[in-house]
Amino acid sequence: MAVSAVHLESDAFLVCMNHALSTEKEEVMGLCIGEVEASRIVHIHSVIILRRSDKRKDRVEISPEQLSAASTEAERLADMTGRPMRVVGWYHSHPHITVWPSHVDVRTQAMYQMLDQCFVGLIFSCFIEDKNTKTGRVLYTCFQSVQAQKGSEYERVEIPVHVVPREAIGKVCLESAVELPRILCQEEQDTYRKIHSLAHLDPVTKIHNGSVFTKNLCSQMSAVSGPLLQWLEDRLEQNKQSVLELQQEKEKLLQELAAPLGC
Amino acid sequence: MLERRPSSRRLQFPEDSALEELPTAGGIGIDRDVSIMAASISGYTFSSVCYHSANSNSDHEGFLLGDVRQEETVSISDTQISSAELLQVVEIHNHDPCAQLFSFYDYAGKVNEENLNSILKDRRKNVIGWYRFRRNTQQQMSFREQIIHKQLTQLLGVPDLVFLLFSFISTANSSTHALEYVLFRPNRRYNQRITLTIPNLGNTSQQEYKVSSVPNTSLNYAKVIKEHGAEFFDKDGVMKDIRTIFQVYSALQDKVQAVCGEVEQSERVKEKIQEDVNKLKQQIALRKRKTAEEERKLREAQNADSHSTPEENTEPSEASLLSRITFHTPSAPERPSTSPNPPSYTDLLSQDDSLLSSSSPPTSAALLPRPQAVGSPGHPTPGPLGMGLGMGLGLGLGLGTSSNPVTTPSTPYLGNGDGSSSDSLDRQAAGQEDDEDDEDDDDDEDEDSSEYENLVSEGAHLPMVSASVLAQGRPAALSPDGDARGSQTT
Repeated sequence: MAVSAVHLESDAFLVCMNHALSTEKEEVMGLCIGEVEASRIVHIHSVIILRRSDKRKDRVEISPEQLSAASTEAERLADMTGRPMRVVGWYHSHPHITVWPSHVDVRTQAMYQMLDQCFVGLIFSCFIEDKNTKTGRVLYTCFQSVQAQKGSEYERVEIPVHVVPREAIGKVCLESAVELPRILCQEEQDTYRKIHSLAHLDPVTKIHNGSVFTKNLCSQMSAVSGPLLQWLEDRLEQNKQSVLELQQEKEKLLQELAAPLGC
Repeated sequence: MLERRPSSRRLQFPEDSALEELPTAGGIGIDRDVSIMAASISGYTFSSVCYHSANSNSDHEGFLLGDVRQEETVSISDTQISSAELLQVVEIHNHDPCAQLFSFYDYAGKVNEENLNSILKDRRKNVIGWYRFRRNTQQQMSFREQIIHKQLTQLLGVPDLVFLLFSFISTANSSTHALEYVLFRPNRRYNQRITLTIPNLGNTSQQEYKVSSVPNTSLNYAKVIKEHGAEFFDKDGVMKDIRTIFQVYSALQDKVQAVCGEVEQSERVKEKIQEDVNKLKQQIALRKRKTAEEERKLREAQNADSHSTPEENTEPSEASLLSRITFHTPSAPERPSTSPNPPSYTDLLSQDDSLLSSSSPPTSAALLPRPQAVGSPGHPTPGPLGMGLGMGLGLGLGLGTSSNPVTTPSTPYLGNGDGSSSDSLDRQAAGQEDDEDDEDDDDDEDEDSSEYENLVSEGAHLPMVSASVLAQGRPAALSPDGDARGSQTT
């Protein structure tokens, strides 16, 4: 097998979780950027949130344009970090459904593997609750596809995945996280534009559609932008606190180092 | 005490309200009418807890800040005039992670109020609960957690303090992981578990847009709506509301970007200082070793002077050999005991297995390398842990990085299928809480922990685990299915 394991940086994991938990009514998706190490371990450094043009249930596919845009992003990350970065995988969410990839998912994954045999797939399953025990669950899995023999159905192959600790959130991950409200608004605008261009609508219908746009944008702001902003502020506060404490510790250590030995 | 906030009245018909069994007057200082409880946490806060947990190599805990509101729902039915039910809504706004375990309590579970205050500061009044993240453990409060909870209830003066328990389990080959969460309100006698919802965008369906108007030939209709409807549109024929709401969104997004920029800067500053602190610690540790080494040499030299036999040649060399072994460990294994942060992942990766197994027992329970956890590179854990188990498991177990991604039989499960875990595993895996002996057989008025089906889909082959390896319970398994909806197995 081409890939032995996947290491997902915890800040990239954070962005995936944010994205997956943003909606329970449809599957969200994105691309993973990173590098493949000599040990055949795929190291994911960050993710890019994508728009889904085809929102039919269980049709999670990435267009060539999106792949190309993601590659550009990967190059940018490569420049920033000085390491060779490229698109190494994709992730999507399964709200309310099992974490296992569907037949379509497995086939989609197989397709990407034809271009890059190290390409991996991640799935996040969320909004699951065991009503009896009031236990909620979030699951994630990593997989590739394999064809037992030529012409037979593709099958899922399990790939071990580990989240790698990273105490500070990287710049690219932060930027990806705040892209979500923008992507949602763009989607809404595009839909509205199509509707608006229909000439034969009477004023009442136009007012109705305009109100739908307003309503949807309000939903996005209260469900996504608002909580995002709150989290960013909390994080800023926490960081300021940590910095203060670390500075105090640094002072103490410097004193200790400067003090004569034997103290 | 719970603040009495102005309650909002809602009209409901019986079929709409989800009633739970009413508790008897057993609650501690809680209005007996408050029966139903709902709780919510934002997806960002939830993810943030997951993120902090992933970064910690042991258990992780912290406080939940937020609001508790009371809503009154009035139901009207044919049989009664009206009845009011109080719905208590717990909103978790954010969390305050603790940098390490035992930061406000000791091994006996005694809470130190001073430490508590210095951790919480002025956020203390917003505390509505606390949380813990553990690996491979049962979905029940441990004995120590219960003790701590009681004290926190008293000290913080929140009668209905909640406790959010996160439990992390994985398949043997680490390809699939599950994070389970349960919200408890332990101060009540009944209905101790509450459903925790994560509000989200929900229905983003854009099907509410109308693509055609209802056919209407009435000229009057057309005239009236055109004339009066014009109010809504600007000279370009675009609805004014659209522009207005877009301004709101735009301004908000600008703010998000701005704060994001500040956060990014603060992350870099924090990273830098953390690096400096780590370097200083290394220097101090190095210096300590050098001094100890020098002192030892001095002592040997003194001993050599007092004895003048031929054997003296062998003694110092034996002694120095021994001490060389003692001081053989490089900085990396020592780092866990001096740094408050877990050793950096890359350091762990670059270490030799033999180094890990020869490290001295860590000083703090909280800093023991986790056996199987999020982020584990699959290296075998140090000797003390593996030996302590007595189950021949050899935690660490060559997980994850095995060359064959199709599951290999060599790794046994950690944790049992029914959510419980064998005692010793629980002790070791959960951050080494030493007095967990008392935690078995908690008060079982609660429902059972969740049950799992075997984690098998048609294609995958799971490791065959010998019965001796799993001393208790049936093999751990994960059932990803919370719902029966949409069978998606391959």
